[in-house]
Amino acid sequence: MDFPSSLRPTLFMTGPLGLSDVPDTSFMCSWRDALTLPESLPQNSKNGVPHLPKGLLWEPDTPGPLPFLPPGPDPWDPGLTAQDLLFRGAPKFRRQPQAVLDVTEQFSRFLWDHGDIAFASLGKLMLENFKLEGARSYSKKKTVVSVKRILEDLGGHQPWGCPWAYFSHRQRRFSLLGDPILGKSVSNLLGELLYEELAMRWEQLLLDDAFTGGALAWLPGRTPRIRQLVYPAGGALDKLYFQEVRLTPGNDPRILGNPGHIQLRGPVRQVVTCAVQGESLLAVRSDYHCALWKVSRQGRPAPLQVLKVEKGAMGINLSPHLPGELVVCSRSGAVCLWTPHDGLQQIYKDPETLVFRDPSPWRWADFTAHPRVLTVGDRTGVKIIDTQGPPGCGLLLFRVGAEASCQKGERVLLTQYLGECGPDSLQPTLHLICTQFSLYLMDERLPLVPVLKWDHSLPSAPLLAQLLPPPRPGCARPLLLGGQGGQLQLLHITGEGASTPRLAGPPQSLPSRSDSLSAFPLLEPRSQWQLQERLQAPTIGLAATILSSSPTPVLSLFQLSAAGDVFHQRLHLREDPRLPSDPRPNCHAPTASWSPQATACCRRWLKALLEVPPAPPVWAAPTFSHRRLLSFKEQQKVEGKVPEGLRAAMAQGRLLQQRDLGLLPTAEPPPGPEPGPKDELSERLEAAWEGPMAAWWEQQQDRTSGPGRQPKRHKRRMQLSNTFSSLSGHLDLSGATSPPHSPDWTSPVSRPRSPVTLPSQELTQDLWAQGIPSERQQTLQRTLRDCTAELPPHRDTPEGATAPSSQTSSIWATPSRQQVRVLSGSQPHRKKPRMGF
Amino acid sequence: MSDFSEDLLRPTAEDDPAETSVRPRSGMCLPWLQKQVESVATRGKKEKDFAQTTSACLSFIQEALLKHQWQRAAEYMHSYLQILEDSDSNKRQAAPEIIWKLGSEILYYHPKSSVETFNTFADRMKNIGVLNYLTISLQHALYLLHHGMFDDASRNLSQAETWRYGEKSSSQEALINLVQAYKGLLQYYTWSKKKKELSELDEDDYAYSTASQNMFKHSWKTSTNFSALIQTPGVWDPFVKSYVEMLEFYGDQDGAREVLTNYAYDEKFPSNPNAHVYLYNFLKREKAPREKLISVLKILYQIVPSHTLMLEFHRLLRKSDKEEHHKLGLEVLFGVLDFAGCTKNMTAWQYLAKYLRQILMGSHLAWVQEEWNSRKNWWPGFHFSSFWAKSDWKEDKALAYEKAFVAGILLGKGCRYFRYISKQDHQDLRKKFKRMKKLVKKHSIVNPGP
Repeated sequence: MDFPSSLRPTLFMTGPLGLSDVPDTSFMCSWRDALTLPESLPQNSKNGVPHLPKGLLWEPDTPGPLPFLPPGPDPWDPGLTAQDLLFRGAPKFRRQPQAVLDVTEQFSRFLWDHGDIAFASLGKLMLENFKLEGARSYSKKKTVVSVKRILEDLGGHQPWGCPWAYFSHRQRRFSLLGDPILGKSVSNLLGELLYEELAMRWEQLLLDDAFTGGALAWLPGRTPRIRQLVYPAGGALDKLYFQEVRLTPGNDPRILGNPGHIQLRGPVRQVVTCAVQGESLLAVRSDYHCALWKVSRQGRPAPLQVLKVEKGAMGINLSPHLPGELVVCSRSGAVCLWTPHDGLQQIYKDPETLVFRDPSPWRWADFTAHPRVLTVGDRTGVKIIDTQGPPGCGLLLFRVGAEASCQKGERVLLTQYLGECGPDSLQPTLHLICTQFSLYLMDERLPLVPVLKWDHSLPSAPLLAQLLPPPRPGCARPLLLGGQGGQLQLLHITGEGASTPRLAGPPQSLPSRSDSLSAFPLLEPRSQWQLQERLQAPTIGLAATILSSSPTPVLSLFQLSAAGDVFHQRLHLREDPRLPSDPRPNCHAPTASWSPQATACCRRWLKALLEVPPAPPVWAAPTFSHRRLLSFKEQQKVEGKVPEGLRAAMAQGRLLQQRDLGLLPTAEPPPGPEPGPKDELSERLEAAWEGPMAAWWEQQQDRTSGPGRQPKRHKRRMQLSNTFSSLSGHLDLSGATSPPHSPDWTSPVSRPRSPVTLPSQELTQDLWAQGIPSERQQTLQRTLRDCTAELPPHRDTPEGATAPSSQTSSIWATPSRQQVRVLSGSQPHRKKPRMGF
Repeated sequence: MSDFSEDLLRPTAEDDPAETSVRPRSGMCLPWLQKQVESVATRGKKEKDFAQTTSACLSFIQEALLKHQWQRAAEYMHSYLQILEDSDSNKRQAAPEIIWKLGSEILYYHPKSSVETFNTFADRMKNIGVLNYLTISLQHALYLLHHGMFDDASRNLSQAETWRYGEKSSSQEALINLVQAYKGLLQYYTWSKKKKELSELDEDDYAYSTASQNMFKHSWKTSTNFSALIQTPGVWDPFVKSYVEMLEFYGDQDGAREVLTNYAYDEKFPSNPNAHVYLYNFLKREKAPREKLISVLKILYQIVPSHTLMLEFHRLLRKSDKEEHHKLGLEVLFGVLDFAGCTKNMTAWQYLAKYLRQILMGSHLAWVQEEWNSRKNWWPGFHFSSFWAKSDWKEDKALAYEKAFVAGILLGKGCRYFRYISKQDHQDLRKKFKRMKKLVKKHSIVNPGP
């Protein structure tokens, strides 16, 4: 192999990272790489024209990628966001806004939403440690509270003050007694654990390294034009799909038939494919398992091996030299090589990190130009190890330190062997190393000194990379870099034979999935938000190919999102846009626009997406203890459909809904507020109803009730809109938080008026009722009373039988999700004295 | 609940909360952290309007650059220059570097920009951020050199060379050394041009003596320029190469050897294969004894066993009188063929086939077995699979022949590669094949001959 005859001058400093006194001679300009030193004589540079084309640019056909496959049938939940975890309202007097993990809020939510879990464990814990039973005696039984009972019971109860909790006098007394002890032990026991959990979640939110390497890959198909796209899908990403795709340079890729799939037992984190000596292999990494398939010419996978990694698998790679060889590394720092001949053998083990101490268990392993030499990487560096040499020894290929002029806090996020020999390729000794700031190319023959460094400044972690073949013989090779947040960058790398690898032209950014939002029709806020969240889902896979016939080469780029969506985009290469004939310099970047076909495609996809039922909420309505009550009531014969429905609902522990009660003597709906003097907002809202929203609303109406009630509803709708206008809230989140009750909340009209008149006038909803006309306040209060009036479960009468959660009611009226939580959390405090009826 | 809140906040509230809680525990710095935090924190002190505007402007410039919209980037850049007036002194100080990086990039690619525009910009920037004077000068000089403006580049470097600011820091010194070395390189270019002219002149000519005098002067100046930098650890291939060439021309062989030896063997320098290559080439020119050449290449062999010079190394070892060198010669050949990039190296296969025969005839079976033992479980799949047999035969029959011979020797005549190739019928190779089969039968290590 040729080695570059003259390397670029570089200062070499050893030492820790972030040394301030090291001059960074790499300068970080993309044009620096064009400035190769003339080899020997100045005459060479006299003509002055750099031999590289200055602008290789891939032009997208559309402003953003298009959905390639229909959305999966499973709902997707974006999971936690920074807003969920952080403390709103940072400490004052800070130079910059900084955030604190919001343990208090998380904790209070936990106690509210999962009181049964929190308190049951407490009860168990105390049971273990308290000797409370004493001697059994009849006399005592009547007079002394059985603490054991109460402790056992804690599991079935909500914390004090919860409106649904059934509260015995005993427990009330117990709570008064136990409050100081319980309060302290809860905070001591759970506080630290919860904090740790939150910190872990937060770190995961900032950087989720599980999908390092990507879970989307190509397998060769029956013909060169037909290939198979391998990707995980399904709600838990535990189904591995094989979709045949026909790729033609002139047209968009076409899906052929239905995908085949393999059901796995864990989520797929990484998919690697490799074709060696005519054999196609597929390897998949899950959290604790890895599997290897051999894929036949017809594209049928046959399992070869399943490996179990007890400590958690971190990275797998297939050998580009020998068919069927696989390297796996585990979180504990062990690296194993699996070969068809010798099976599994551990070749390296080091629980510590390579260069300095770093707590991250992330490890990576890959192959090199020598089939028996591997690279082993962690956050602090990358080492080359000889599997046949004595264990433990090796040579550092990359060091997070002054050698590569690393910044403070810089860590390795991805390493990849770029080698692949061919007539038109780079040296087969190159390795790509990505950190959160820069990208390095290392030659394994020249360890520690990067042969190329580029500041990618991606706004998310670069966990995906792919080196593509040259679009034309002699052209630079595109290197695709993908951030977890969906951002994509394309670099061109040249340097065949005896020259050092360098950037050919300035890097380029490619459109991300969120750029496609403009292709979708405008939706009502809730669906719009859902779509936006879906488009912003993290990118977990990248697969690109270059189709190099036709006049201009085409880059076909597929990306997989964490929601299981596969998006596709085509880009055309344009070489050297600096044509002297072009009079308008700014105009040679014509902005791509959406074609009717593209928008139609998006519309179809969106329609399918909106038909997917929303994810069940993480929060479920609290249940209350009914075990004994039910068994007690069992003996009594009750008649009528209503109590039956009621009992069924109770037995299942769910909220009572309209349908459980069947046809009730419909009471007159509560008088709505008179439409007062119209304001601008309500007019606008009314107008909005007439548009696509109206259709949606109509649809909702059809779903919930018969056609007979239509005219009345219209009036009600107007009232509703008035309410919104006075509250200036968004409606968009309501459905997202309480979907199971949607039939209820869309038609509050049909709910019977509560005949029970509670004297609780302190139920003033001052928080949000301010500024509402008094008669409307009354209505609202009444509605609210409906909701908060807890149904005494032992009463057989249907009165006040509808008990939609107060959660629902407060959602109507509050502007955002956060406030919903605050409200529901703060109400009981006020109501506390009244709750024990 | 209020009890809990106080307790739970304590671990974070005692020391600096943001430091302990939000930063990842590993000390990793995440550039996207700030954005996440800003999306939530509301009560903290907000950035000033000006700072917000400038940071937005910066991101617009970066976006335009990544989309190759040079004109748009230039327009934003025009506004971004305002940051030099920022009241925040930290930002004001960091600004010139950012402006230089982005500005030079825009001007390098902008279709309407010219060398003059670039010069004006560079000259301005040098004096705005005094701390960046040296780096900017250096890059400016490279830019000029690249555009063929040799004298301007040289003038630029001379100016930078004499520049001093405040106390001389080590980073400043390194940069000054670098500037000087580049200046030396430019002088070397002039020198080699003169050398070329001189070679065309007649020695008795009057012009010859003045020209040679000129050259001497240059050489003396250049050596001082280079010597400072090449003492500093780093990769200085172009400098070392030209320096050595000049030293050699003036007959300072010892000086050249010292420079090269230091460059190759100094522990503080990175292990650079080229350093050994240069030393080897120098020694070869000097007609150094074979022993000396072997010792240099032995080190190169340890660093880069796949280097092209390894075949030359093998030839040297083969010619050597020592038996251990003969053994090393075999090791070197096996080592070259271990690498993915060398699998189709015709010469290496030829050498190996020939050398195997030679060694086995010399009854050194143990040497071959020693090399083969560590490779016997992966070479068959790596080199001698039936896939390669087919494709090698299709692409390069001569290579297939050599490989088949080696396969036959190492794996016996039952091996797939050997069987496939020997079954092929080819007119020109028929005789050769016959000989091959005979030799394999005789020498194969699997089935030692009678």
